[in-house]
Amino acid sequence: MNQPIRMVGISKRFGSVQALQGVDLKVEPGTLHALVGENGAGKSTLMKVLYGQLQPDEGTLEIEGTLRRFAHSRDAIAAQIGMVSQHYSIIPELTCLENLMLGAEPGAWLEPRSATERASTLADRMGFRFDWNEPASKLSTAAAQKLEILKLLWRESRLMILDEPTAMLSPADSDALYASLHRLAAEGATVIVVTHRLPEVMDHCRDVTVLRGGKRVSSFPVAETDPRQLSEAIIGRSMIETQVEVRVGREPMLVMRDLRIQGDRGQEAVKGATGELRVGEVVGLAGVDGSGQHELFQAITGHAKILGGTLDFLGQSILVASPRQILEMGVRLIPEDRHAEGVVEDWTLEENSSLGLHRLAPFAQGSRVNIRARSEETQKMIDRFQTKCRDRYSLMRSLSGGNQQRFVAARALAHQPKLVLAFQPTRGLDIEGTRQVYAALRDQAQAGSSVLVVSFDLDELLIHCDRILVMEHGRLLEPPADLARDRQAIGALMVGAA
Amino acid sequence: MADFVQFLGLAFVLGVPVVLAAMGGLTSERSGVMNIGLEGKMLFGACVTAMVATSTQNAWLGLVGGIGAAILASLLHGVLTQVYRMDHVISGMSINILAWGGTSYLYSPHFTDRAFGSTIPVVPREVFYLLAVAIPAVIWVYLKRTRGGIRLMAVGNDPEKSRQMGIDPIRVRFMALVATGVFCGLAGAMIVSNTGRFSEGMTSGRGFIALAALIIGGWRPVPTMIACFAFMLFQALQIQFQGQAIFGVMLPNELWLSMPYLVTLLALAGLISKNSVPAGLGKA
Amino acid sequence: MIFLILGCFALVVVLLQIIGVAPGEAVQAMVRGSLGTARGWSGTLREMTPLLFAGLAVYVGLRAGLFNIGAEGQFVVGACASAVVAIHVPGVLGWILSGIAGLIAGALWAFPAGWIKAYRGGHEVVSTIMLNFMALQLTSYLVLGPIRDPSKDDATTPDVLSPMRPLLETQFDGSSFRLHAAWLIGILLILGFGWWLKKTVQGYELNATGANPKAAQMAGVPVPKVTLLAMCASGAFAGLGGAFHVLAYEQRFYNDFSPGYGYNALGVALLAGGSPWALIPAALIFGILGQSASSLQIMEVPKGMTSILLGLLIIGFAVFRYRNREVNRG
Repeated sequence: MNQPIRMVGISKRFGSVQALQGVDLKVEPGTLHALVGENGAGKSTLMKVLYGQLQPDEGTLEIEGTLRRFAHSRDAIAAQIGMVSQHYSIIPELTCLENLMLGAEPGAWLEPRSATERASTLADRMGFRFDWNEPASKLSTAAAQKLEILKLLWRESRLMILDEPTAMLSPADSDALYASLHRLAAEGATVIVVTHRLPEVMDHCRDVTVLRGGKRVSSFPVAETDPRQLSEAIIGRSMIETQVEVRVGREPMLVMRDLRIQGDRGQEAVKGATGELRVGEVVGLAGVDGSGQHELFQAITGHAKILGGTLDFLGQSILVASPRQILEMGVRLIPEDRHAEGVVEDWTLEENSSLGLHRLAPFAQGSRVNIRARSEETQKMIDRFQTKCRDRYSLMRSLSGGNQQRFVAARALAHQPKLVLAFQPTRGLDIEGTRQVYAALRDQAQAGSSVLVVSFDLDELLIHCDRILVMEHGRLLEPPADLARDRQAIGALMVGAA
Repeated sequence: MADFVQFLGLAFVLGVPVVLAAMGGLTSERSGVMNIGLEGKMLFGACVTAMVATSTQNAWLGLVGGIGAAILASLLHGVLTQVYRMDHVISGMSINILAWGGTSYLYSPHFTDRAFGSTIPVVPREVFYLLAVAIPAVIWVYLKRTRGGIRLMAVGNDPEKSRQMGIDPIRVRFMALVATGVFCGLAGAMIVSNTGRFSEGMTSGRGFIALAALIIGGWRPVPTMIACFAFMLFQALQIQFQGQAIFGVMLPNELWLSMPYLVTLLALAGLISKNSVPAGLGKA
Repeated sequence: MIFLILGCFALVVVLLQIIGVAPGEAVQAMVRGSLGTARGWSGTLREMTPLLFAGLAVYVGLRAGLFNIGAEGQFVVGACASAVVAIHVPGVLGWILSGIAGLIAGALWAFPAGWIKAYRGGHEVVSTIMLNFMALQLTSYLVLGPIRDPSKDDATTPDVLSPMRPLLETQFDGSSFRLHAAWLIGILLILGFGWWLKKTVQGYELNATGANPKAAQMAGVPVPKVTLLAMCASGAFAGLGGAFHVLAYEQRFYNDFSPGYGYNALGVALLAGGSPWALIPAALIFGILGQSASSLQIMEVPKGMTSILLGLLIIGFAVFRYRNREVNRG
């Protein structure tokens, strides 16, 4: 690729939402270009337009000096554009080699021998190793990411789009990924990285484009900016996020000793966790995704198999308690996957309001549903974080992701919960929503509850939490007292480097 | 000994249409389209084969007609599930009901004189015997060694990711459904060849046995074929030893006939083999 | 979508024209045969009764996210079990015991499918199809052997000792109108179930299980248990329908007992869609189709025509509802 990629005046509307409005993007050939912005700023939409997955309402796209119009991803692929989506597009049922070729097979008849040869050459070039006949289901996250890179090479992509490539990688794997990307750029490839991690932008990219609310805010060489200026551009005002006043917890609420938990695939996902949550504190649980946070939450809510150890809630063992009993004791959850676990999209807000609380007062009277109380409670939940909806009879499906999240958070905080487990409670929320939710969590703790928050954004936890715990490879760690809020020390614990 | 050979031969002959239908189910379900309408497609195939063969007095044209009818029914399933996004189970059921009603309509006095004469020229059965063994092998090679094969499996596993890789899942599924139509049409034609005439509901549940064999075979072509023949051993036992003691025990016929269903239930319960459903089955 | 509906409609018209029947006349004949006379009404209500029970059965399953294609088998097994009781026990006690027998037999026949779905992850559609075939084999074995009435030519049980008389029997315009208690019980059962579903915590949990099992699980609903119970309840309703069909209408059990009530019940439940009350009009529509089949046959319309109508009706309706939601999200 010798000429810059130019997107000019791209607009895209989904129903009533203007996702992109006259966005320009210019990417120099042979460089790493960062595309940053908050959730919902339009980064993914813009990249889907570039990859032919979406067609813009307005605007033009120029590649290698010619105007192009992509009706499908196929057209973009033919124009040597490749994309790695955040969750990868590897088919677990196929082998690594078949995944590598998929969609870009050399011919109708596959010739595994010559294909393996070419695959190995590509892998050698990047310093990767693969067992090509192994099913892709056995790949680790980092290996899957490497296979995705090789897929781009196999297709001879000259423009590579990576959507949040490090979201699921450990810091060491992230560094290795950027090393590969630099090598590819040196060989002439053009790389666009969609990310929200500013350190990566500062360390690795040459230029950066900032989107906010579907518009391009600014675009400049990384050398001419600093993280502060960049984050102001992203948020639209200077970051006045001061550290909250740290509170010390009172008597213990939840105590675990040497807790061992079985994961979905039968592995020991949590290996002897020991720790406690106290009344009045908001505890942040930091760690790379997949370190056992999911299983810990599952165990506390009664959904995971516990292999050993003790787990006491308010002085009472809940090792064998059912999810329903635990709910009745006052444990509430803001689940990880809102669509799948938190709401019923085909139901109205009112029907959703009692999900999980449906056997408790005031939602139930004996085994009867108290419809009047349910209506009142729904209105309170809607009002709490200003969920935007027509009324309480709107279908959950009609709400945007951020508004669904507001409603789910309000539900978890209804009626004086004792323990709130929040898995990425601010996912999909803007800065103001994030602030509100954390403020509510802190108020709840103040009122006598305790709160455990999982987030993959350490900075967010450092700002809002009273205490930080770390999960790393199934172990629960606590930084030493003198380094309790030390970003570097905690970061080291997260990757097992301490 | 001769009895035993005859018995195995019987199981093979009985198994042939089931294998053909099961291969139809395999191509469809591997692409992610759940297919409980195999029975209906076979029935359409059988009926039209008989009609066309009678009116043209040409067995091969009959076969082509039968296959064409089954393809049309299969494409209807495709349109309903892929274009209108109807639930796959409902669509499959509707096609079965339509097939039952449609063939019964065609087999009414209005048409019988012209179209269902007593002499139906039929394609030699040996053709179907050969196909029943060859098709599973061909599918096996196709899935392992061709572009179309890995694309079929990719779409069945995750249509969305496949789309991202530049594959058109709808196109792949329609191609798979055409294959389903061809195989189900062959199965229907084979049943007509066997009896030399059409009668209402003559597929008598073979489409569902094929579905069961697909589960036992884990959606893999050769094991599925073996499962079909194994199922038909029970039916052969029932035919060959009607009313006699088998292995010294006198068991009701109905018990033998129930065996395939019972075995499938056990397989579904995971008591025989691991459940290995294509991950994208019935989605989208 | 309009195109599809019009296509279905046109197909029916063309099929009727081919055999030389004017569509208008066919519709007239259908309405006359099923709703035009007291006798027609009696027949329609009779056809409707098993569909009320079996339709409710399928509906209960759908609410819990289960496709109970096994209503046919559960209906037949329930009918057979209740007949076995009712040919031995007379009187009201006989009715009660025979009803219970039908209920339990239906539930038992649904149990494996529920268990496989809830605890082993096997698809209930395939398992219920298998159970349907097994039900046919089992009842055919019984009625050809152990419970056959040897004094009769065809494979049938003896008559039940005390059949249920119609609740209401009057003459009307020269033909007799009969209303059976079974019909009324079916209606009441549907009304009761509708109330239960909306107003009780258990109904809420059933709904949640069907609408989003994972979210229900997180909300403390014991999803596998609810799934299993829903499947058994579904089977119980179908079995009860079989029992009433024996007690009120057929008064015996015979081979090929059901002309496909269980399958038509799928159509009834699908047509009813979101609301349980809608089962009643849906069952009425299918009852009319069933009753008018004979009037159509007099006009020399092939009997397959009714099935074609049913199939198209289901397609036309399901295109609006029951769309696969996975991709609609975009």
